Amino acid sequence: MKQLKAEVIVIGGGAAGTYAAICLSRLGVAPLLISKGFVGKSGASIFAGNLVLSGRIVGNTEENARDTAEFLIKYHNQFLIDQEYAKRCAQWIAEIYYPELEEAGLYFRRDNQGNVVTSPGRIRSVAANVQGNSGIPFMDLRRKQILKAGVPVMEEVAVTALLQDETGAVCGVVAFDLSSGEIFCVLAKAVVLATGYSDRLHSRSTGTREMSADGIAMAYRVGAELVNLEMQWWHTNDVRFPANWQRMQVYPNPMLGSWKSARMVNADGEVFFNQQEDDPMAYGPYTVQLKRLVKQVRAGKARYDGNYYAGFDHVDPAEVEAYTSYAKLFKQLGLDVGSQLVETAVSAHYRQGGVLVDPATMASTVAGLFVAGGIGGHSNGLIGLVTYDGKVAAESVARYVESKTYSSVSDESVPAERERLEALLQPLGAEGVPPIRIKKMIREVMWEDVGVEKNAAGMTRALEALDRIRAELIPKMGLRSLTRCFNHAWADAIDVLNMLDTCALTIHSALNRKESRGPFIRTDYPDMDNENWLAQNVLIPKPGGAFAFRTQPYDLPYLRPGFSRKDNLSVEW
Amino acid sequence: MSSIALASKEKRNERTDLPVRRRDARRIGQVENHDTLAAKLNNLKDGDTISVRVKRFDSSRDAEAHFESFAVPYSKWMRVLDVLIYISDELESDLSYRWYCGSKMCGTCAMRVNGREVLACWAAAEPEMTIEPLRNVPVVRDLTVDRQPYEQLVLSLTPWLERGSPYPGFPEPFTHKEMKLASKALDCISCLACYSACPVVGLGDVTNFAGPAPLVQVGQMALDRRDSMDRARDLIERAGIFSCVSCYRCEEVCPAEIPIVSGVIEPLKALAYKRLPEELPHQNAFLKIIRRRGRIDPSELVMRAQGLLLLRSLGRAIRLLLRGKIDPIRTLFGRPIQDMGHIRRMFHFFK
Repeated sequence: MKQLKAEVIVIGGGAAGTYAAICLSRLGVAPLLISKGFVGKSGASIFAGNLVLSGRIVGNTEENARDTAEFLIKYHNQFLIDQEYAKRCAQWIAEIYYPELEEAGLYFRRDNQGNVVTSPGRIRSVAANVQGNSGIPFMDLRRKQILKAGVPVMEEVAVTALLQDETGAVCGVVAFDLSSGEIFCVLAKAVVLATGYSDRLHSRSTGTREMSADGIAMAYRVGAELVNLEMQWWHTNDVRFPANWQRMQVYPNPMLGSWKSARMVNADGEVFFNQQEDDPMAYGPYTVQLKRLVKQVRAGKARYDGNYYAGFDHVDPAEVEAYTSYAKLFKQLGLDVGSQLVETAVSAHYRQGGVLVDPATMASTVAGLFVAGGIGGHSNGLIGLVTYDGKVAAESVARYVESKTYSSVSDESVPAERERLEALLQPLGAEGVPPIRIKKMIREVMWEDVGVEKNAAGMTRALEALDRIRAELIPKMGLRSLTRCFNHAWADAIDVLNMLDTCALTIHSALNRKESRGPFIRTDYPDMDNENWLAQNVLIPKPGGAFAFRTQPYDLPYLRPGFSRKDNLSVEW
Repeated sequence: MSSIALASKEKRNERTDLPVRRRDARRIGQVENHDTLAAKLNNLKDGDTISVRVKRFDSSRDAEAHFESFAVPYSKWMRVLDVLIYISDELESDLSYRWYCGSKMCGTCAMRVNGREVLACWAAAEPEMTIEPLRNVPVVRDLTVDRQPYEQLVLSLTPWLERGSPYPGFPEPFTHKEMKLASKALDCISCLACYSACPVVGLGDVTNFAGPAPLVQVGQMALDRRDSMDRARDLIERAGIFSCVSCYRCEEVCPAEIPIVSGVIEPLKALAYKRLPEELPHQNAFLKIIRRRGRIDPSELVMRAQGLLLLRSLGRAIRLLLRGKIDPIRTLFGRPIQDMGHIRRMFHFFK
């Protein structure tokens, strides 16, 4: 079995992973970048619609800067964030991030007079060329920077397990090459986990094909503590049909260069959300829309999987065209963006929680395992924030590896992982179940009972369903083809086990948080409870597959919610 | 620093001039020809059967490719990708095809449907479909291709900005007008649809043409006013840019609607010619002939461009002569077109 060495392994080719790798090579440390898809093409980063401004750049006032901080802490993280981290991050974004991106060639949209075009809300943003498409040139630039820096890259390679030395420190990985079926091991002095936050665990989700929550599952298996896994966010207006456009969004916030935004209409044709009128600060990133939708669903005027509509029928189509990409889906569907609406539905979007980290170092609770970006449980991963994480992780990893030598792994762990993976490459028997069917069942269970509105009874039912899948179907899992070349079913079989673990951990975390908060809506605990739950909901792995919970209140040095208890749906953020 | 609403009529006209699709000939008659997703799908209703033939090949096992047929029930607004997902999820086939985002962003699901390059995530399903992998790239398995040769080629063309002067700080001063061409090229999602459609790339080693997609990648930088790298020699020698025959096949299939020929390759050709005119005898001869005759003369063009090298392909010259493709009599005695004044004015204008 091939055994390689790399000073540091970065897992994930999105905004966080690529920037961590770039910073590591600047610091003289040699990274190896392993991506389950293509660097800069797979994952969530290419979906970045526009880029939020912080600090006092591009005409931002002191007030704008304060509003952005509030937006980040209050609306975008529901106070579940280290406010000092948010402050450092915002400063870095204003002072380093924007100039560095532009210097490298990213084109922030100008008008014909040479002004940078911004959105006009209190939270101002810019776009890399076109609103809705910013992530594409952004990540294309990162890809080229990685190649220019000569960072070795492995693509369409999935890391399947983190390796530990005798002290428990992470010292390498086992990986699976989808193109050849080769299984190999890479030893390293440290590992940066940057696998992202938007997984495909629900029937409708924004996570892309390959995103199966591997990062959470692998971190959990080496004993890393996890936090706020239950804090699931939702897109409220993704296109309902065709089925796999479910991450195609009719963006509800103001359009660049204009105050106009999409509006949402229920089954009876009544407008129930228009950002301009209902949230004129343009503060509510999806939460305000979601709460409005919950009320419509409860009134029988919409469903989470459709029967409500969104669009720009009240806006001059020239405005939609000029700076955004949102007209393209209307065109492709043969709809007129200026007069027609498109049927929309909810998709599970990003997970706010993840691996517990010290946001000053991005170190997890396991030695040698660092985290960057959305996989961390420290914040919601806006693309600027996750980039900052990449820098912080790179700096502390560089310090960590200075005095570190390669350690050896125990004799059994690598062959055992290999055997586990090879055992999944088995023929589909007469009673056999293909892994893709199991993936689908898991997503249905999550959608049905761990969706927008949840309660203890439903979640307990979901846990039982997942247990049944694990006990009855996993042993029967088999593949139609045993080729080692792009055997997607084999990759699915590996994913399934990560999905099952992450879903179960998510449900247990959700059962433990006995409140509702922003997009986390429990019908059995409808109040936001700042007295008891303005806190980290930490899941602590214990030997033998057991785990315990700990709650840790957040410090609130700058902003406070201002009430101790309130019906979550009546909270205006 | 502006957040201008599109207020005045005048401004709006200026802006609406921007999106190329307004002037895009490909969209003319699109609705009438049932070429949008919805229009195409009017041909199908829920429960109709879609007949799909997919080209299958496993480079680790098969000597030759073969076709496999599937019947897929149509559901609302189905795209090619939805059909493929149905084949693997519901029919539980082991078909290999690549996709990540499913919404025209990652550019990894390009393939050929009924002979035309499309993004599977964006193109409507049709009642009968033959689905094949892209051309001009190695097929690894079924519809999955090896992108590495393309990536290596792009890398050899230094697709990054090289600044001649220090970065002035954020935001640096320039206007959208100055970035217009580059900004269209920046829409490229490197899906390789154009690369597959290009007949010159399809000729293989006959030319050294890099192909449309790599040139768009270079164009992102070379057409950016902030870039000061001299890319002319690379464009001529490494990318063989003058082998492009401007047939517009690339533009026709580009899902990002980039004007690849008119907005990228032609401006890059101009850039290369301006910088290294002495290295482009064919282009010089062409100009000379037009300047003198007002129209092109094939035999003179070949003689001027190739000079004595022509003797090496004397056989071909004779064949061309016999087929009437070249006419030495007209070359020697032919008269210029009637109104040479227009031609002179054009030359003057472009000077």
